[in-house]
Amino acid sequence: MTTPFLHINGIRKTFGDVVATDHVELKIAEGEFMTFLGPSGSGKSTTLYILAGFQEPTAGDILLRGKTLLKTPSHKRNIGMVFQRYTLFPHLSVGENVAFPLRVRRTPADEVQRRVKRALELARLQGFEDRMPANMSGGQQQRVALARALVYDPPVLLMDEPLSALDKKLREEIQHEIRRIHQETGVTILYVTHDQEEALRLSDRIAVFNKGRIEQVGTGPQLYNSPASHFVADFVGDSAFLTAEFTRASGGTADLRFADGTEVRGVPLHGADPKGRAELMLRPERIRLVPQPGAGPSLPVTIADITFLGNVTSILARTSWGEEVGIRLPFGHPMASGLAPGAQTQIEWDAASAHAFAARAH
Amino acid sequence: MLLNFHMLGWWRWALGAVCALVAAFLLLPILFIIALSFGDSRWLIFPPPGWTLKWYEELFSDPRWLDAAFTSFKVAAVVAVLSVILGFLASMALVRGTFRGRAFLRGFFLMPMVMPVVVLAIALYATFLWLGIAGTFVGFVLAHLVIALPFAIIAISGALEGFDKSIEDAAILCGASPWEARLRVTLPSIKHGLFSAAIFSFLISWDEVVLAIFMASPRLQTLPIKVWGTLRQDLSPVIAAASTLLIALTVALMVLAAFTRKGKKQ
Ligand SMILES: Nc1ncnc2c1ncn2[C@@H]1O[C@H](COP(=O)(O)OP(=O)(O)OP(=O)(O)O)[C@@H](O)[C@H]1O
Ligand SMILES: [Mg+2]
Repeated sequence: MTTPFLHINGIRKTFGDVVATDHVELKIAEGEFMTFLGPSGSGKSTTLYILAGFQEPTAGDILLRGKTLLKTPSHKRNIGMVFQRYTLFPHLSVGENVAFPLRVRRTPADEVQRRVKRALELARLQGFEDRMPANMSGGQQQRVALARALVYDPPVLLMDEPLSALDKKLREEIQHEIRRIHQETGVTILYVTHDQEEALRLSDRIAVFNKGRIEQVGTGPQLYNSPASHFVADFVGDSAFLTAEFTRASGGTADLRFADGTEVRGVPLHGADPKGRAELMLRPERIRLVPQPGAGPSLPVTIADITFLGNVTSILARTSWGEEVGIRLPFGHPMASGLAPGAQTQIEWDAASAHAFAARAH
Repeated sequence: MLLNFHMLGWWRWALGAVCALVAAFLLLPILFIIALSFGDSRWLIFPPPGWTLKWYEELFSDPRWLDAAFTSFKVAAVVAVLSVILGFLASMALVRGTFRGRAFLRGFFLMPMVMPVVVLAIALYATFLWLGIAGTFVGFVLAHLVIALPFAIIAISGALEGFDKSIEDAAILCGASPWEARLRVTLPSIKHGLFSAAIFSFLISWDEVVLAIFMASPRLQTLPIKVWGTLRQDLSPVIAAASTLLIALTVALMVLAAFTRKGKKQ
């Protein structure tokens, strides 16, 4: 087996009684864009800070090209980082900010000039050399921070929610810039966010964090189409969960029975072989509305609400035992015509598009 | 606002008059001294019958006055430098540290501000006698450092609290060692705090009398001590000239401090 480029090997970090990260295990390929996605307090930043050397893990190791990083102090790790907060040096101009990493490395003056120019071009900041940070917008400051972090060609670039302080439009604009810069430089990026849309837009692979552990690692479509846990299914994309009971569970599929007696068979099953209560996950755009049960699994429902959202129509249906299911249809879809709140109908889906999970202990 | 100045009616004239009186009460003695230092009366008659610079000539030609002024300046300058350095180090510990007893340590550092100066002076004098540095330059500097340091710590830790530690972390990841990051990034970013710490430390030492009385020896005197000593022997207008110089430097430094504060806000 070849050594991975970057190996986060069983990292555990505790602060007193608080377990910030636990057995975080991840292999990252050179040039990969890897995103840590997870709710607040799930240990994303802690993992990044351990990589940066600002915190020491309680257990585990970080290996870059097979060699441990933990014995190297932060300033010798040669890692780039863009922080959530604005961290430009307030007393230095944009040009001098970007030159700073080269100056501390005693790079010859002509090379400093050449590299700073190239880094500013990369971040589309030509002509800003003499500006002071205080006279720049948040988005511009983060682009300077990006140029400063890339000017010394680090093998790994860490980004801890760099866009969370910006408004939505600007955020999307800089997301495109980051993607372009990733493609142009081929730098390996570890990116932290709690915004699933941002994660899906930017990343090659996403590691979903929950309570200090990685729940699943995969590409966006993998996470969306085959979530490994209830948590991932819930966190990545919209979904409805219906409670049911397992009547059979083996070989990666399960049969379920709902409270109204309806049975569905052969649902993809995730997690160790469960008993008792189950949850069936449905994606809103994978559900069809049909007047009569057809060939696929289906369930009788009552329409509760219909909302037009421009290009899609969002429909809320209620099962006979009171759980709600969201359905999303493209605008003008024939299934939505003639539908009104209170109507009795059926929801239908493909067996493979649903997922069964053991119900979480509450 | 609780008290709107524009709605006070004729009361605001009364208020203005009281303010003017207070200002006059504070300022007149100073203006009086300055005027006397230029007056040609040997007996400090006011208003002066004529004007002259001869007291200044006398002042600047007397090596004892010059020595005292030079000593004051040297002590104050060394105190300013040391209290900025120590104030920075102490502030780093007080602001960044996470150790227990941090609040206690802060209180301890600031204690000389509330201690009666005479008590402090006697304690320092006894200690310095025992150490054999009473009446020396080092003794002067150490004594003034004790009362200047709290002000330096307040100014510098205030600036440090307003400085985001992530900026220093960013410098370290950029390749600067922790101390290089502090010197090249943190220090320049809090320079307004360092500057006001230096000015206030200088001024505290420059016009300090109580500690200086205990620290002074016949060979080593600061300007305020020389003024005080001369005053007890004879009432010469040279004292007024020396006082005017003391005031002039103080005012100049206060103006400088005000300007740095204005520069910081921009
Ligand atoms: N220095 C610290 N001292 C004590 N507890 C800490 C410290 N840093 C982090 N923690 C705890 O560790 C856990 C993980 O924190 P972390 O900052 O890694 O979360 P995160 O996923 O980055 O969250 P967010 O999205 O809010 O930034 C949290 O419970 C947090 O309270
Ligand atoms: Mg975080």
